[in-house]
Amino acid sequence: MKTRLLSLILAQLNIFFSISHSRYYYLKKRQRLWEGILIAGSIIILALTLAFGVYKLAQGFCSQAALLNQEALTLTTGILAAQFLMLILGVALVISVFYFSNDLPILIPLPLKPWEVLTSKFAVILANEYLGLLVFIAPVFVAYGMRADVNWAGYIPSAILVFLSLPVIPIAVASILAVILMRIVGFTKRKDTLTIIGGFLLVGLIIAGQLYLQTRLSAPGADEEFIMRMLARANSLVTVLGRQFPPSIFATHAVSLAGTSKGLLNLCLFVGISAFSFYLFLVLGNQFFYQSVLSGFEAPKGKSRPFVSRAESAQAHERTPILSLAIAEMKLFSRTPVYALNGFIGFLMFPVLFVVLLVMGNDPEMAKLWGSLRAMPEFHRIGSLLVAAYFFVLVAFSGIPFSPFSREGKAHIWFLKSQPVSGQEVAIGKALGAEIMVIIGAIPGLAVFQYIARLHVSSFVIGVLLGIAASYSFCVFGVLLDMARPMLEWTDPRKAFKSNLNIIFGMLIGAAILFGIGSLIVTLLKRGYSGLMAQAVSGGVVALFLAAGLKLLQLAADRLWMRIEL
Amino acid sequence: MSQHANRSLLKLESVSKTYRGSPAKAVDHLSLEVMPGEIFGFLGPNGAGKTTTIKMIVGLLAPDHGRIIVDGHDVVEDPVSAKMKIGFVPDYPNLYNRLTGIEYLNLVADIHGVSASERSNRIEGLLSMFDLTHAVGDLIQTYSHGMKQKLALTGALLHNPPLFILDEPMVGLDPRSSRLFKDLMRSHCGQGYAVFFSTHILEVAERLCDKVGIINKGKLIACGSMDELRRLSKEADESLEDIFLELTLPEEADST
Ligand SMILES: Nc1ncnc2c1ncn2[C@@H]1O[C@H](COP(=O)(O)OP(=O)(O)OP(=O)(O)O)[C@@H](O)[C@H]1O
Ligand SMILES: [Mg+2]
Repeated sequence: MKTRLLSLILAQLNIFFSISHSRYYYLKKRQRLWEGILIAGSIIILALTLAFGVYKLAQGFCSQAALLNQEALTLTTGILAAQFLMLILGVALVISVFYFSNDLPILIPLPLKPWEVLTSKFAVILANEYLGLLVFIAPVFVAYGMRADVNWAGYIPSAILVFLSLPVIPIAVASILAVILMRIVGFTKRKDTLTIIGGFLLVGLIIAGQLYLQTRLSAPGADEEFIMRMLARANSLVTVLGRQFPPSIFATHAVSLAGTSKGLLNLCLFVGISAFSFYLFLVLGNQFFYQSVLSGFEAPKGKSRPFVSRAESAQAHERTPILSLAIAEMKLFSRTPVYALNGFIGFLMFPVLFVVLLVMGNDPEMAKLWGSLRAMPEFHRIGSLLVAAYFFVLVAFSGIPFSPFSREGKAHIWFLKSQPVSGQEVAIGKALGAEIMVIIGAIPGLAVFQYIARLHVSSFVIGVLLGIAASYSFCVFGVLLDMARPMLEWTDPRKAFKSNLNIIFGMLIGAAILFGIGSLIVTLLKRGYSGLMAQAVSGGVVALFLAAGLKLLQLAADRLWMRIEL
Repeated sequence: MSQHANRSLLKLESVSKTYRGSPAKAVDHLSLEVMPGEIFGFLGPNGAGKTTTIKMIVGLLAPDHGRIIVDGHDVVEDPVSAKMKIGFVPDYPNLYNRLTGIEYLNLVADIHGVSASERSNRIEGLLSMFDLTHAVGDLIQTYSHGMKQKLALTGALLHNPPLFILDEPMVGLDPRSSRLFKDLMRSHCGQGYAVFFSTHILEVAERLCDKVGIINKGKLIACGSMDELRRLSKEADESLEDIFLELTLPEEADST
């Protein structure tokens, strides 16, 4: 029994990390070996850089907290932030991995219990989270250990145990929510659509709940007295902060009091609660998982309307190839739950955060801040640049234009490849599809922003136009990058999208460009140049990018398209 | 289409392909020609290189050597014009599961620039022939294997392509559909067009094809009409099956 589960887990990990595939690809076929080394190298360097940044940040935080005798606050903050993020992003992740993996039709006929399949998939998700935690939490533990001068012999084992348990609760909670959601969706007809909407609602609820807890904790008025009282006892801020999520206190104490009996108790509590939440999930999952998956296999069959009207309506549908490709790209993306859930989440995160803040924290301070901001002479011009930047952020972080060919995969790319369209047409079609999705996705965020900021219409329009031009040029770059190195080999659609290096490159390049332009504008403004100047400079940079993108498209697209073979 | 009369619709000139990392040539200096009005059957054992050849013709793979000309257009130099002339259905037609049948067909028609009126006529005709009319509004996800194949066939025939290329088209079709499909190939050639298809069903090849090519280990080892092939064999009156088995003997058996 044990070995069966273990081999199942190992097989899942092998597939998830493409171990066999990479070995074949890089070692046996020696294909693009240098590329593999280059990528692995740059990822390791990047991870180390990021980890060092986190370490420095935690160190600074620690010294500040030490002044108040609250070093352990560093741990609590890190742990809370990590768990919160894992919970929010976990919803889309667990729905994708549990319910939309392509290996389910293979696994389900095997003589396995649902909980065994779930455990193996859970292990994959944990492994995935550990990679992130290594960069974002491990340095915090190290920084705290250095600062607080801990007894390493007791500290290290406790820290490792806490590290390993850290993702369990948020992922188990996300999984429990997902199992319930999918069970409900399973009863309905339009499963894909409801999965997407339900997933977003869950994320919205989680964010709202979290913010509600936060605002309740920092009830105005009580603040100062409250904090003074708390400061009297060392590390008691930890208790306050952790009240929104008690296990984070256990985790903190387990690490900070490592080696003491109290530390041990907290460690046991934390690991115990983690194990219990996992157990709860398995019980629930064992009950409902297969039912939902099986009902998911039955795709909805609409009541087919008579065909005559369809054939007639086809006449109204005559489109140019590029537009038709763009529309197909949009339909395929937004109808596939894995893509829509993971890709559109950024479109909603910002507006939901803002709306919740607006509703909860009806803060006079905030209103005053906005008031004085609006009174600034250059507010509208700078605001227009913020609008433009929002488009750019959405493109860079949604990953949509960086994965169109990867998402087609080996199974589907034959279609476009054998169609009479040039590489340029395909690239423009895909970029256009991505751009339209981003424009639509930007609407809720822009609406909220405009509701608060109330930019002049002209500034708002300039911002939107600038944003569309900037994001479209980035879409073109993204599509070309994915054309140059598409990830066609996958069995799990999530992989083509979220484990795709092109998307990570996209985020990094996007962040770098945004940082570059942002610093340029801040420098300009500080030197006394006008907001108009800042707008003009941004416009110039964007025009340059757009020209470069279109030129590159002309030069490279056809060749790159030819190079894709299957 | 009289302008096709004297010019081959498909011409392979000494085409070779080696997959990266593989020691042997998957296709080895292959030359053949398909004339207007011909049905060309492409036969060979598993792994002989049939799919590889077809992939090169339709632009899914680039040949290492040689030239492929489709109705006067080189597939490497002018891929778009060449592909305009081709209708292609692969061995496993994976279609976009989350489009409906009609959305898929409209996408294909848009890409080929099929005008609206022609489009609805052809779609309607092909769909009712394949008995797909009732399903065309559903997501492709809900189709059976054979329905997907019939939809792919419909898509490939929408623009009335001069050259129809199929990789093992009979797999998964029910007897009625497969009969329909054979008639369709015949009538397609009647218009002066050509069909090039690979198959393992030798009876079909024997009855249907004007010309048969047999490929083994990447090399074309026999090519011609059924009569010409019979002349190759030791005994007259042999079936295509006998000829095929004779010609494609594994090496070990050869030497004994
Ligand atoms: N993607 C690939 N990478 C490496 N080698 C391949 C690939 N596809 C096919 N081959 C190899 O090329 C040779 C020819 O394969 P091909 O698919 O063309 O054969 P086939 O005639 O279509 O066979 P079947 O009747 O089984 O479909 C085989 O030896 C096969 O192993
Ligand atoms: Mg084949």
